[in-house]
Amino acid sequence: MATKNGELISPKKLRVAAFLGVMGPGIIAGLSDDDPAGITTYSTLGANYGYQLLWTLLISTIALIIFQDLGARIGVVTRQGMIGLVRQKYGARSGMLSALVLVLANIGTMTAEFAGIAAAGELFGLSKYVSVPLAALIVSILVLRGSFARIEKVFFLLSAVFLSYVIAGFLAHPNWGSAFKGLVVPSMPLTHDAIYIATATLGTTLAPWGLAFIQSYAVDKRLTRDDLKLLRVDVWTGSLLTGVIGFFVVVTCAATLKVSGTKVDDAARAAQALQPLAGTLAKELFAIGLIGAALLAASILPLSTAYSVSDLTGRPAALNDKYKDAPLFYSTFGVITLLSAALILIPGAPLIKILILTQILNAILLLPLLIYMFGISRDRKLMGEFIATKRMSIIYLVIISIVALAIFGMFWFSLVK
Amino acid sequence: MKTPQTNAKKVSPVAKGIAAANKIVAPIAPRNSAKALERKNIRAALVSFASLVGRPVKNEDGSVIGKLVDVVVRHNFETYPAVSGLIVKVGQSKAYIDGARITKLNHKEVVLQAKSINLSDFQRHEGESLLDADVLDHQIVDVDGLRVVRTSDLYLAPLDKEIRVVGVDISFRSFIRRIFPNVISRRPNPESVVDWGKVASLADGSGVVRSSESRGALSKLRPADIADLIEDLQGREQGALIEMLDPKLAADALEEMEDEELQGLMRGLPTERAAELISHMEPDEGAEVLRDLDEDHRESILEEMDTKVSKDLRKLVSFDETLAGGIMTTHVLTAIESETVGTALKRIVENKDRDVSDGILIVDEKGKLIDHIQLVELVAAKTSAELSTLVGPPYPTAVRIDTRLPEVIEEFANNRGSSIVVIDEKNKPVGRILADDLVDALSTENDDLHGVAQGSGAL
Repeated sequence: MATKNGELISPKKLRVAAFLGVMGPGIIAGLSDDDPAGITTYSTLGANYGYQLLWTLLISTIALIIFQDLGARIGVVTRQGMIGLVRQKYGARSGMLSALVLVLANIGTMTAEFAGIAAAGELFGLSKYVSVPLAALIVSILVLRGSFARIEKVFFLLSAVFLSYVIAGFLAHPNWGSAFKGLVVPSMPLTHDAIYIATATLGTTLAPWGLAFIQSYAVDKRLTRDDLKLLRVDVWTGSLLTGVIGFFVVVTCAATLKVSGTKVDDAARAAQALQPLAGTLAKELFAIGLIGAALLAASILPLSTAYSVSDLTGRPAALNDKYKDAPLFYSTFGVITLLSAALILIPGAPLIKILILTQILNAILLLPLLIYMFGISRDRKLMGEFIATKRMSIIYLVIISIVALAIFGMFWFSLVK
Repeated sequence: MKTPQTNAKKVSPVAKGIAAANKIVAPIAPRNSAKALERKNIRAALVSFASLVGRPVKNEDGSVIGKLVDVVVRHNFETYPAVSGLIVKVGQSKAYIDGARITKLNHKEVVLQAKSINLSDFQRHEGESLLDADVLDHQIVDVDGLRVVRTSDLYLAPLDKEIRVVGVDISFRSFIRRIFPNVISRRPNPESVVDWGKVASLADGSGVVRSSESRGALSKLRPADIADLIEDLQGREQGALIEMLDPKLAADALEEMEDEELQGLMRGLPTERAAELISHMEPDEGAEVLRDLDEDHRESILEEMDTKVSKDLRKLVSFDETLAGGIMTTHVLTAIESETVGTALKRIVENKDRDVSDGILIVDEKGKLIDHIQLVELVAAKTSAELSTLVGPPYPTAVRIDTRLPEVIEEFANNRGSSIVVIDEKNKPVGRILADDLVDALSTENDDLHGVAQGSGAL
């Protein structure tokens, strides 16, 4: 925006732009979507169904862009977190329901992050009884002592290891024609497993926590309507990045694991997909990516959930509050971290199954949150001039129907079987 | 205090009905006595609004008319807001029923007096708000606890011949009670109910809900505390809190706010209100706010102001923040050297709320700066003495309006005073730079180095 002094862009705007460009919430959320659960889900999708179900990833990515964009807008315009807003608009029970949904979904996703740590640890020959408690401890200390911001970039870089799937994808010489066809022509094997993995893809890509996170972020950083454009660029970039990485994971696995008939039933098998790129180091590369992405997501997730949930009481609490002033904040944080770590430590817990099941849980819990968000987007009192247009409302409804359809299909197949 | 303008004929059945229902004598106590909740009979008669929603609305003969959806209250800013009507779901549609027809209201039901009820569509009037749609579960300010909370419940009770909102429940326990209504008792827990006067509800139906008491309580807070509350509030509630503050106090609070927060806030305020607040701020602080707004917005705010104020601000805004003119405050008190000490003192007293109490600048007939004379010197001198007799060293430090910030700092450091004078190209004093202006200027520079606002550090 030009000002009279001849400055092209105000310094503040430049700073926001620089910040969002490097490591904005959209990109953080995007990379955290490619967490252990995401990579495992996409790997299974490619290994079991080749290119056929790529279209589910395309739809999930579009849904991610559309709803992350809405979350950012709601946050900036209403200056309220999602849970508080639901309580205000829909009353006490809905507020509580949305908080419970978010907590439950995030315990699931957090469990998946620890499953990723456990799986990565096992690739290095480390028992999960060591790696998981250690990871939980590291994450809690970093976050509670507020030193996470400094180490964040390290996790960020580690998780960027998964960008190597883009190169691995090319090296694996996939059948690009089939990949394109799978991406744009929807076809669905009417089996229990296919519907499960399709639903998990939806749930891992458009995760509930990401929606709450982007909204809280806009509120907490006090982003204004002027920052919205930049925030949207960031959200779109991050969401596209998720989709692109996901696409290459599926393509790589389709060209390697599917061809060799390997099923993804543990992390070592999933890592084999990276062999065209990393050769014998594939396992190590995969494990490093898992650890980075898991720690990144595990640091943000309990905190952003606790922040959202404490909004039930009036204002979101944060780390600079004392326990006495924000019991809900700290107990949410504690419950999510402890419970999910404990679940993984159950002897014989099937890691890969947990990774996928939690994402199905995500998809189911997504539905009420999407409906609340839709209602908020149509509320003129809350959104003012930013109220959803008729066309956007239809798009929101289509996405909500797709999620509902996937859930319904999944239950139907479960009952029929 | 004004008496509420209500029709006595309409009111009496309400009071009678409630008194009968609660088996207590209708409390017709003087309003300005103790707070409502400190009166025992009122506490006993409290009806939880959250439990009342969804309950049947009946005729006197016991036939059900519909279900209660919402309660409309009228804000009389001097006392507890009175119920002016009900919104009732009759069949599939919602209807408005005049509050004067209520004969009985308890936590189980609402009974209406008339046989035939006039159902009409609800139209919001000035000064009315809906308890469920605008207040319950919305953010309010707990003035005693200095924090922002959400309303868990509201309590109605008969008071001064009407049913009024007398209490607010802000406890998490009551929030949980509403989720599992049959598990925990419906009765209010006395400790968690706060007198309506102790909170500032920010509902805006058509007007802002405010009780004089909460306004009074707010006005006793320090501007910095109010700034914190404003920052904790979100969206429209934020604007509403500012609306209920005295403009002078609001302006003081705004000066304490973070720059980015303040900018966001200004964008959300109506132009007239923004203009009013900025004119109450210190000119340099006001100019800083204006400088950060985009040009069109800035112009429309300036146009709303008094021309004299806007002229000064326009000039300040035009200066870069890295120059003396951009950080100075334009309050300067001057006296011509031929005037007397008495005149100078009188001028200081007249401007005492303008933050210039440390003295007066002496200028010649053409307005050029000659000296700065301390208040102490003036007080010590004879009131009839000419000011020129007091002129002499030490002379004040002065900088040109276009002096760059680093040089200003250097001058300040060398001079060790609490302020320096800013002069224009004709040596006329146009402003002063106080120590706090420098601190502001330096902290803005620091912000530039530290990147975006860090928020709460949570995310």
